[in-house]
Amino acid sequence: MEIEDNILVEECLGGNLRKFQVLVERYKKPMYFYALGMVGNSDDAYDLSQEAFIKAYRSLKRYDSRFQFKSWLFTILSNLCKNALRSAGIRKQYMVSDKALETAPADMESNPESAYQAQQVKQAVWDALATLDSEAREIIILKHFQDMPYKEIAEVLGIPVGSVMSRLHYARLKLKKALAGVIE
Amino acid sequence: MKCQEAIIYISGKLDGELTPEQERQLDLHLQTCAVCRKEYDDLLKLKEVTSNMRFTDLPDRYWAGYWNDIYNRLERGLGWIFLSIGAIILLGFGAWELFDKFLLETSMPMLLRFGVGVGIIGVIILLVSILRERLFARKHERYEEVER
Repeated sequence: MEIEDNILVEECLGGNLRKFQVLVERYKKPMYFYALGMVGNSDDAYDLSQEAFIKAYRSLKRYDSRFQFKSWLFTILSNLCKNALRSAGIRKQYMVSDKALETAPADMESNPESAYQAQQVKQAVWDALATLDSEAREIIILKHFQDMPYKEIAEVLGIPVGSVMSRLHYARLKLKKALAGVIE
Repeated sequence: MKCQEAIIYISGKLDGELTPEQERQLDLHLQTCAVCRKEYDDLLKLKEVTSNMRFTDLPDRYWAGYWNDIYNRLERGLGWIFLSIGAIILLGFGAWELFDKFLLETSMPMLLRFGVGVGIIGVIILLVSILRERLFARKHERYEEVER
């Protein structure tokens, strides 16, 4: 059975760094994928996700266990990504390539025409994500690619649950507009 | 239910986040409003498209070294703290010795002591200025880590 995050955090605070490794192993991929969606290139996403873990460990005493540890981690990463996007330090913003996204195997295993179409849509979605402002992109990634419930999204973004629905709706409209002609 | 409210609820319905009552009201509205129905169908399609996609994973070799990188950086952080404390002690001692054995030493030429003294004051002013600038920038960071 998986040990709960809060228990692991308490053991980390007691000086057991190896317990922090368990948390890192648990969330490294979702964190990386989130950062990838935000900054658009894997090098920066990898570095930012690691930086978020380091920051989290150093501020572990300030973590409030009333909130989910995962949400807290994502909040730290979210701020790091926004800072990175604002600074000139980011190596490349969104990659021109669509290689950061892949479609479900079923789409690719069908006939060549469908596979080609899936490839086109994938490229279009990637390009559309790049055109969104960071606020819209962030909520789209959290819901569409991380499948977070509204409560968790609210914790990550520090907004009421009720606002998640409306913010997500307007972000979806922006994405739909950016994909005009691709999704019919 | 009015269109303005229905539009927002559409996202909730797509994500299964509405209460049964909210969903019932929205469904009633969607049966009678073609505009909202179209919006719902479009966003449903959008969700279907993205649900077939995921971010590409990295090769295993990247994940194999992931924790070690973090561990090393955390360990190095501790090293920097000790190094900084040591440097502060040494600099403090050096400053005291300089003041005591050089600046107050009357056998040294006055002009030399004056030149060194002015130089030190210049370095202190520059350091304070840089430190203040950095602290100011940090204080006014818009996306500084949120604490909860």
